[in-house]
Amino acid sequence: MHPFEDLAAAMTRRHFLAGSGLSLGSAALASLLGSQAHAGGSPRPSGGLPGLPHFAPKAKRAIYLHMNGGPSQIDLFDYKPKMNDWFDKDLPESVRKGQRLTTMTSGQSRFPIAPSKYKFARHGKAGTWVSELLPWTARIVDEIALVKTVWTEAINHDPAVTYICTGNQLPGRPSLGSWLSYGLGSLNENLPAFVVMTPSWSSKVDAQALYNRLWGSGCLPTQYQGVALRAKGDPVLFLSNPGGVDAQARRRVLDAVSRLNHHEFETLADPETQARIAQYEMAFRMQTSVPELTDISNEPRHILELYGPDVHRPGSFARSCLLARRLAERNVRFTQIFHRGWDQHGNMAGDLPAQCKDVDQATYALIVDLRQRGLLDDTLVIWGGEFGRTIYCQGKLTRDNYGRDHHPKCFPIWMAGGGIKPGIVHGETDDFSYNVVSNPVHIHDVNATILHCLGIDHRRLSVKFQGLDLRLTGVEEHHPVKAILA
Amino acid sequence: MALGLAFWVALGLASAGHRPAVADPPRPGASHPRPVDFAREIRPILAENCFACHGPDDRARKAKLRLDVKEGALAALGSGDRAVVPGKPDDSTLVFRVESDDAELLMPPKASGKQLAPDQKALLRRWVSEGAKWSSHWAFDPPRKADPPAVKNATWGRSPLDRFILARLEAEGLSPSPEADRETLIRRVTFDLTGLPPTIEDVDRFLADRAPGAYERAVDRLLESPRYGEHMARYWLDAARYGDTHGLHLDNYREMWPYRDWVVRAFNRNQPFDRFLIEQLAGDLLPNPTLDQLVATGFNRCHVSTSEGGSIEEEVYVRNVVDQVDTNGTVLLGLTTGCARCHDHKYDPIRMKDYYQLFAFFNNIDGPALDGNSAKWAPIAAVPTIKDRLAIVAADAEIAALKRTLEDETAKLAARAPLAAEPAESEIPARADYVWIDDAAPRGANPQGDSPWQFVSRPDYPVKSGSGALKLTAQGRMQRFFETAAAKLVIGEGDALFAHVYIDPIHPPKEIMLQWHTREGWMRRAYWGENRIDWGKDQSVERLRMGDLPPTGEWARLEIPCARLALAPGSVIDGWAFTQFDGTAYWDAAGLRTWTPQPEQKYASFAAWIRARKADKGAGLSDPDKAILALERSKRTADQVRSLYAQYLRTGSAKTAAALEPIVAKLKAAEAKRKALDDQVATTLVFRERSGEPKQAYMLKRGEYDQRGDKVGRAIPAFLPPLPAGAPVNRLGFAEWLTAPNHPLTARVAVNRLWQQFFGVGLVKTAEDFGAQGEPPSHPELLDFLAVDFREHGWNIKRLVRTLVTSAAYRQSAKITPERLAKDPANRLVSRGPRFRLDAEMLRDQALAVSGLLVESVGGPSVKPPQPPGLWEAVGYSGSNTAHFQPDAGPAKVHRRSVYTFWKRTAPPPQMSTFDAPSRESCQVRRERTNTPLQALLLLNEEQYMEAARGLARRAWAEGGSTAEDRLVYMFRLATGRRPDSSEATELGRTLRDLLDHYRTRSAEARQVAGEGSPGDPCNFAAWTLLGNAVLNLDCVITRG
Repeated sequence: MHPFEDLAAAMTRRHFLAGSGLSLGSAALASLLGSQAHAGGSPRPSGGLPGLPHFAPKAKRAIYLHMNGGPSQIDLFDYKPKMNDWFDKDLPESVRKGQRLTTMTSGQSRFPIAPSKYKFARHGKAGTWVSELLPWTARIVDEIALVKTVWTEAINHDPAVTYICTGNQLPGRPSLGSWLSYGLGSLNENLPAFVVMTPSWSSKVDAQALYNRLWGSGCLPTQYQGVALRAKGDPVLFLSNPGGVDAQARRRVLDAVSRLNHHEFETLADPETQARIAQYEMAFRMQTSVPELTDISNEPRHILELYGPDVHRPGSFARSCLLARRLAERNVRFTQIFHRGWDQHGNMAGDLPAQCKDVDQATYALIVDLRQRGLLDDTLVIWGGEFGRTIYCQGKLTRDNYGRDHHPKCFPIWMAGGGIKPGIVHGETDDFSYNVVSNPVHIHDVNATILHCLGIDHRRLSVKFQGLDLRLTGVEEHHPVKAILA
Repeated sequence: MALGLAFWVALGLASAGHRPAVADPPRPGASHPRPVDFAREIRPILAENCFACHGPDDRARKAKLRLDVKEGALAALGSGDRAVVPGKPDDSTLVFRVESDDAELLMPPKASGKQLAPDQKALLRRWVSEGAKWSSHWAFDPPRKADPPAVKNATWGRSPLDRFILARLEAEGLSPSPEADRETLIRRVTFDLTGLPPTIEDVDRFLADRAPGAYERAVDRLLESPRYGEHMARYWLDAARYGDTHGLHLDNYREMWPYRDWVVRAFNRNQPFDRFLIEQLAGDLLPNPTLDQLVATGFNRCHVSTSEGGSIEEEVYVRNVVDQVDTNGTVLLGLTTGCARCHDHKYDPIRMKDYYQLFAFFNNIDGPALDGNSAKWAPIAAVPTIKDRLAIVAADAEIAALKRTLEDETAKLAARAPLAAEPAESEIPARADYVWIDDAAPRGANPQGDSPWQFVSRPDYPVKSGSGALKLTAQGRMQRFFETAAAKLVIGEGDALFAHVYIDPIHPPKEIMLQWHTREGWMRRAYWGENRIDWGKDQSVERLRMGDLPPTGEWARLEIPCARLALAPGSVIDGWAFTQFDGTAYWDAAGLRTWTPQPEQKYASFAAWIRARKADKGAGLSDPDKAILALERSKRTADQVRSLYAQYLRTGSAKTAAALEPIVAKLKAAEAKRKALDDQVATTLVFRERSGEPKQAYMLKRGEYDQRGDKVGRAIPAFLPPLPAGAPVNRLGFAEWLTAPNHPLTARVAVNRLWQQFFGVGLVKTAEDFGAQGEPPSHPELLDFLAVDFREHGWNIKRLVRTLVTSAAYRQSAKITPERLAKDPANRLVSRGPRFRLDAEMLRDQALAVSGLLVESVGGPSVKPPQPPGLWEAVGYSGSNTAHFQPDAGPAKVHRRSVYTFWKRTAPPPQMSTFDAPSRESCQVRRERTNTPLQALLLLNEEQYMEAARGLARRAWAEGGSTAEDRLVYMFRLATGRRPDSSEATELGRTLRDLLDHYRTRSAEARQVAGEGSPGDPCNFAAWTLLGNAVLNLDCVITRG
């Protein structure tokens, strides 16, 4: 007989806690937290700030498709036919007006105009101009509000992307998603409120970097940071049990931890202990809910075909879009997909089509799929990068190929779904897609608009930070873009 | 089933703790027995709600009303009214406006988003009724050391500190908690002083020591542990934003760990805090600074940096300095100076000009703004280890000895080959034959061909030069060639290749060909005679016809202009081939006609050597010799000529250089070794002033780098004491000012951070903000008492730490009663012992320690314990040298304490960031403590925690006794420092039994859990391992109670 058997026998004579061999699990937990439990039905947010949302939201959740690197507006959305006559002519100083340039082109002796080589056509009832590189997006122009006149102050990637994602060019501030999860709480207790995906891309390998801070919580507690949903390994870090530990063994360990922690709580009465018991149960539930989320085997064929062949490749943008829809179905508050590789300083003709091919059909599919499920009405979808690109060429210029440097003064972002007026184009740029002619929209206005759609007055969502009421949209006055609001 | 829980939001106090701070300190009950305290109760209301429009910022001020100073509040307004009329609330417009029902009149206005609570309005009214007593902002007055207050319970308390705590508790109708039990106490203090749990021996020793002062003795022992410095450093490194990468864009590796090690050492040797600050702020400006003092200045170099393509240097430069100013503001002054970058501070009396005057102190670094993506971003200091130093001394000695030998030998040569005997030749560079192949292939070449190279000599054969000629007799196509010459030919402008050939008159070849080998391979050929050899593309540089065969029976010179072979200047030839079709020819004296000096070239005369050195601008010469070379010949002194001549004899003379070559070669090797030693020595970023006038600083409008306003100099904000008399107006003076006795902030801010470290929350909860927007102290007199006491006792950190941890307040039990929870929910009154979850580093270090895995070596380069693959790759730029994570191997690296873990700032280690460790991209003086399911997943499943569970099982088996019960108790003690009570033991035992049952029938799974080399039966060991896994997840293990 194992020496342990004696001990076990002795122990059965004693009385421990409830004394039964039953799993404590969720049933006991429900009673433990009885006052907060509620039945199914429409989800109610948990967490979040009192008083939020500030007003009835049009969107309950959002999906942000971030095109990292600075997509060329001139080759995608901002049609400038007059530029064909300006091929290889110098950008007039009257247009540039001494605008500061990155040091990648500030040393160029001239700034020759590179007209887009791509054909544009009008699409939809709205007659929105879209380039031939985005044939699928062209089919959903009546669902989207295209803002052509977003602008920023930053002219290099790291500060610019940090700026649009966190409202500040310097590291240390909370990201958009962490603000939403802090302010609005979660609609699904089995999944994170803020999920991030970083799919693969098809242009050159040297794509601009991302930074965890883009989905970080900055000065907010780390529970609000974005959780990466990974294509390889555990979809959520450390989700899987170690080798040799099955669900039964894990449950047995968790029961022990639960009972002992309960005992600890009875002794010391620290509410943190109680919270920890609940978090361990949630961790256990995540071990089921996350694989269920990422398992697309039950998606019908016509849906997979909608997203295009890439959907079969884990880690593709198409797969990420499909998962974004599944996350929306599960009421995850905010999903952000960072697609890299949009930094075309050269080889526009080679790399830009490849990038567009990555995202075009899947983006279309996401909108259509959300629409057909009735989810688009209360899901906000955002598409855009951190800045635009210059009309003048960087490097070698031919009719068929060229490069473009960073351009902060105008670039497009489009939105669709909950809270957005569909089928409109907002703002106009000059003939050179260089300056805004009408309706400038600062990136803080974009973020104010996103918050607005989710029922948040951006001026009133703040946290004390270094003596300031820190807001996502900064200290200056900014406004949601009323013209694109439904 | 659904639970209506915040998924990421901790229950209870963790989330409540993050609400806006001002209302947080416990307020006295409704009866309000004391007069209103302006500093603690009124000023925060005014600051939060009024200062934005009625505060220090002149430009933002409305109605000319200023409420941050007494004169402003009492002054007559334009209307004739006064905001505050002491004793007359009904005459005070302030009271009227905040109480107004009229939305037009109500203050603060709705648009501000602010709203006063009814009790706040009542407080304002009462304050005015009581005479509107005013005091300046508490934090800007120097701390005064008050006598500890009188208390009712004279038996409780061990130090003056406790009297302050107790007096407040008594005032709130609370009593202190009893002292924690001894196991809890020793675990608490061991964690707090070393970041590690006590060993069972530590606990037993403490329990056995029943003599008075046992606890104090344990504290003293812990303070002497080298683990203490590692633990204390960790908090400082958060504030200093230390990381192992640059933090922006490429986020390349930054070599900075010597600074981290300096911080560890500074705490371990208990460097006084004032010196600690002075050396970090201005170590370089101290007289004859030591290397340690230079390393310390890394504090102001820890900020993130970039070299992103396209960056504008000045913009980045300003950001760097701004980070320095803001971090110093937060860490040293507890002020949000950053607010004044774009405008006057809205709450504190920091003007925009003050900001740029502080900026000016840091505005003079001797290094580039962009980091160049280099680990060694100047200015840097080399930080050799003792081993490095010994090797360097030895290498220097070897170099010196070789130089002496060389000089002696040169003198001997000079005596034999006197300068006077040199021919008088011109020094103007002139084109001449440089013979590359004569009697032998060049050095390093590998002569080969269809048969061995055969040099024949006079008198039986023709020889053009030297002692022999290369004879080549061919049948069909044959050749002699080499292609790996170490001494290469370098083509200059207008040069021509040449060779001499003697065509045998009896058996002339049909064709002769020369070929040359370059980096492109054998792609250059020239031939004479018939076109028999079909290599290369005809009529191109690959096969160029130069003419007919030269005359037979005499030496002929073949010359091929390099331009015809498309060999551009700078091209390098390292191989040559003599080729012919049939017949016999003799080849001799081949090379390059050039004035470009050739590698390893030797010269027939001093003047020829001078010509060459003039041509290559003195390549290989020392700077003084270069200067001499540049002089006209007639202007050189005899000594100068001798210096050049010695160099010629050593390295340039065809006659003598060979004799000295071995010594010269040894010297070169020794110098190369020395350089390699330099390269392997670690470096660290330091601060150093530029020489000359300091860089001019300017006001920057709206904080923009390119919007310069007025010039500003270095100065201290007027609301703080001036620079001490005689202090230099630079960073050193700034540091001396900070640590001057009359400074109101430095000591308070430092003491508060230490209090926060040991008690979980600071006396001022907003450790980063002591200004008007920060939270007033819960125990202002105590904070002042500790601050003054700290300064008066030589800024002695260990003494202060000892004061804190030996106090009765610290030693209380953490047990929460309903009464305490109601009256002191967040324990801000310290009515019980501090209890909180361990920080990320402590959690991991504990797991490694209790499982017996921890490797306790101190210092050195950061290490990379395993992490899930793909985390760096998901974000990294492929060109970054931290784009791909490669874990270290071996316990000596992966089982080190977490303070040594490599910190990539754009993707910090998840074992750290999941538990609230900051990214280290910016300064952080206070970590949140969250409670999330991701943390549970990490502790349950992460590789090293699983490894620790195995280690725990192994120790329980090896050391825990012979029965399961003993082993189980031992395992629990290892992790918690105490024995399980009976119900805990029962639960652990039952869990073990169930796990044994589980694995008994699952041997394959058991082997996976047990891992390789597990002791005994894998099924058994797997069950114990999972029990260890459970133990490491217990609340009482991951919390320090």
